[in-house]
Amino acid sequence: MLAPKLTAAVCVFALAVAVSTAQYEPPQGPKDAGGYRAPTVELEKGRKVFVLSSCHFCHGIDLTQTNMGSADLLHSPVVGADQDGNLIGPVVKAGLPNLQTSMPSFYDLSDQDILYLARYVHYLRQQGRYKELMAADLSAGNADAGKSYFNGSGGCSKCHSPTGDLAGIASRYDAKGLRSKLLMPNGTARREGVTLTAAAQQHLRLLENYDPPDVANVLAYLSQLR
Amino acid sequence: MSPSAQFRRRDFCKAALALPFALRASVPAAKEIPQTVGGLHFGVETFSFHDAPPAGDPQLIPTIIRGMQYAQIPECEIMSGHVEPWSSVATGWWVQTRSAPGFAKMREEARHWRLTVPMDYYVKIRKQFEAAGLRIYYYNINFNETFTDAERDRSFEAAKALGAAGISSSTVLSEARRLVPFCERHQYPVAMHNHNNLVDPDQFATPASFEKALAMSKWFQVTLDCGHFVAGNNDPVAFINRHHDRIANVHLRDRKRNNGPNRPFGHGDTPLREILLTIRDNRYPIRCYIEYEYGSFRPSFEEVKTCMEYCRKIVA
Repeated sequence: MLAPKLTAAVCVFALAVAVSTAQYEPPQGPKDAGGYRAPTVELEKGRKVFVLSSCHFCHGIDLTQTNMGSADLLHSPVVGADQDGNLIGPVVKAGLPNLQTSMPSFYDLSDQDILYLARYVHYLRQQGRYKELMAADLSAGNADAGKSYFNGSGGCSKCHSPTGDLAGIASRYDAKGLRSKLLMPNGTARREGVTLTAAAQQHLRLLENYDPPDVANVLAYLSQLR
Repeated sequence: MSPSAQFRRRDFCKAALALPFALRASVPAAKEIPQTVGGLHFGVETFSFHDAPPAGDPQLIPTIIRGMQYAQIPECEIMSGHVEPWSSVATGWWVQTRSAPGFAKMREEARHWRLTVPMDYYVKIRKQFEAAGLRIYYYNINFNETFTDAERDRSFEAAKALGAAGISSSTVLSEARRLVPFCERHQYPVAMHNHNNLVDPDQFATPASFEKALAMSKWFQVTLDCGHFVAGNNDPVAFINRHHDRIANVHLRDRKRNNGPNRPFGHGDTPLREILLTIRDNRYPIRCYIEYEYGSFRPSFEEVKTCMEYCRKIVA
């Protein structure tokens, strides 16, 4: 009687491992009026600046709102091009006083506050874009266009190869798992004490700025790599 | 099961059953909420309840009512996004969002709803507040150029059905001109609410912009947002002393000057104490409405209560 139970337990465990490695689940800690607790100390400092500056009332606790006519930070190209607050910081400090309902000037935030804030905004954006792209209909991808993107503007071929690390990748994951791996590969999850590699940071930057058609095309291309 | 485990489970069940009663007991009975504090009528702009359920949710109005009871605030200025089944974005308040894809369709649906919803819809909302011993004092609906005349008319009727004594509106001078005949026909006041855009001459942001509207109709009033007024480097106390007979209510928030941010009460540049004492000591018939908009990790009903306590200590 023990053997079947043991086999079933092993199967369930293996399945759980397979699922947990194939799909990234954004962390969700304890929630308060400012959203979910961030996964690292530094990001939590950014959340503190974000919430205590009441950014969330207009932009939403996860950047998915555009209340009071505010900018859509989830898709803003300015935020997408920002590096550690170099573009976000000046706007936050100066405010936008000439809007119909002005964005206040947060002139008293320090440079360190701006750095924390910017990194938290990028984190929220990565989480939001991941959810959005995981839920999007990307079935109309073109494999040839995906290959061009892979070898060209996407810059994927600088680090990856269809005959090397990506050989047979479509056999290792189902469609959902493959999409998840493309958007948030191993090493991109935020955990306290874990420093992101340059490659992981590059993938997160890509995630923030992907166009859905490009993702659809690359997925169509990768799905041929069996 | 051990006796201790059984005991714990029984205790837990008892506690669970008693919890709703304990919560009910923690909310003051409606009749206990004082109508005035230090002779002043306090209220809340329902925008303050940022974490309330979304527009159209059946729990939205009950949540606002519980928040008001918890803070012991007897009346409110309820915003249209808390009355109608969609937020103000669907009715064209923000210029920036009027060009968004899908706006025209969304706006038309909102218009159709407004023009066809029975007035009983609003009456039922009014009765929910009245049953809790609370009052909708003003209806906050933000007139703009996307309104048709039929919608403007309907908005006045809706405000009356809600039991409101008037309308408060974040609007612009050009829209105020359109509203004059509606106020005259309905014999009903509209109070203009300011922000702090000092560049657009159509916006309400300065004493001069208010004075232009006040000269248009005797039915026009002011909802003076003291925080925004200070952020625009204006003097709210001077304005109150000059126009106290035309100010329906003040919005109490604490912003820093020079378009500075919202701050917890007492930490910005807005002279909240002087504003409240000016209204109290001169017996100006101006209602004082909390508008919570600074950042906090605490739920909004807790912060609204904190704001109310701050004001209570000043005037009580």
